[in-house]
Amino acid sequence: MKLSADPLERRLQLAGVLIILGLLVEAISLPGIRPVAFLVFVGVGGLLLGAGVLLYLYSLVHAGPSRQAGSSE
Amino acid sequence: MLTPTVFLLTLVFLNIILVGVFVARPSITATRGGKILAFLGLFLLPLLCAAMGTSQHLERSKETAFCLSCHIMEPYGRSLFVDDPSYLAAAHFQNHRVPADEACYTCHTNYAMFGGVRAKLHGLRHIYVQYLGAPPSPEKIKLYEPFNNRECLHCHAGARSFEEGAVHNADPETLPAVEANKLSCLSSGCHEVVHNVGQLNTLKFWKAGR
Repeated sequence: MKLSADPLERRLQLAGVLIILGLLVEAISLPGIRPVAFLVFVGVGGLLLGAGVLLYLYSLVHAGPSRQAGSSE
Repeated sequence: MLTPTVFLLTLVFLNIILVGVFVARPSITATRGGKILAFLGLFLLPLLCAAMGTSQHLERSKETAFCLSCHIMEPYGRSLFVDDPSYLAAAHFQNHRVPADEACYTCHTNYAMFGGVRAKLHGLRHIYVQYLGAPPSPEKIKLYEPFNNRECLHCHAGARSFEEGAVHNADPETLPAVEANKLSCLSSGCHEVVHNVGQLNTLKFWKAGR
């Protein structure tokens, strides 16, 4: 994977990677029936997912003016 | 068969594919459609998956198999198969007076307001003790507070066998005292034999359920 030169796109890529990792952890721990599966789901998967979503929201808030204008395209 | 787990796993993998597209080609978020898809894939769907997964895990934590997955609970699981009707937990489990797949939760949850939440918080404490603390030996496990008759009466109140039972009506003060939680169902001489895991080695077990 090549990171984009554009700061917004780079942040979106990083958010995407975090979300993919979180989703993979959640997919692995979802069928588990032991308490540790729940801990991994919430503690590791939820943390990665939360970090990715927050980074995505942060990247939206800090989108440059050119991107803001792009939204009306 | 489309079980909730299969459905959720499908949703998770679709979300991974969608997010993978944005990771590989972030420039597509420059278009309006790309922005909407990004919002779906990077915000809505992950939150939906997390919420549904947490709900599923919490629901699964009610299962007998979940409780018995901890080694320390193994004797309590065995006690459900004791071949002696005076063993309260075994009699309830073997005769399906409680759902067999949610036997522990049915009796040990709290049927007051927010009782389910309290039960889950207790569960988190159990997990902490199991993995990070010093778990006691099975026979030394104690309830947080004396067993409240409310949990028994949740099912038994109004039942004919309970209301008209000869022993319950031998003394006219017994039933009101039980209903007011002044006389415990688990009192000596009543239903005091519950799990008694310390004595399991001397008992016979019901094999049909194995």
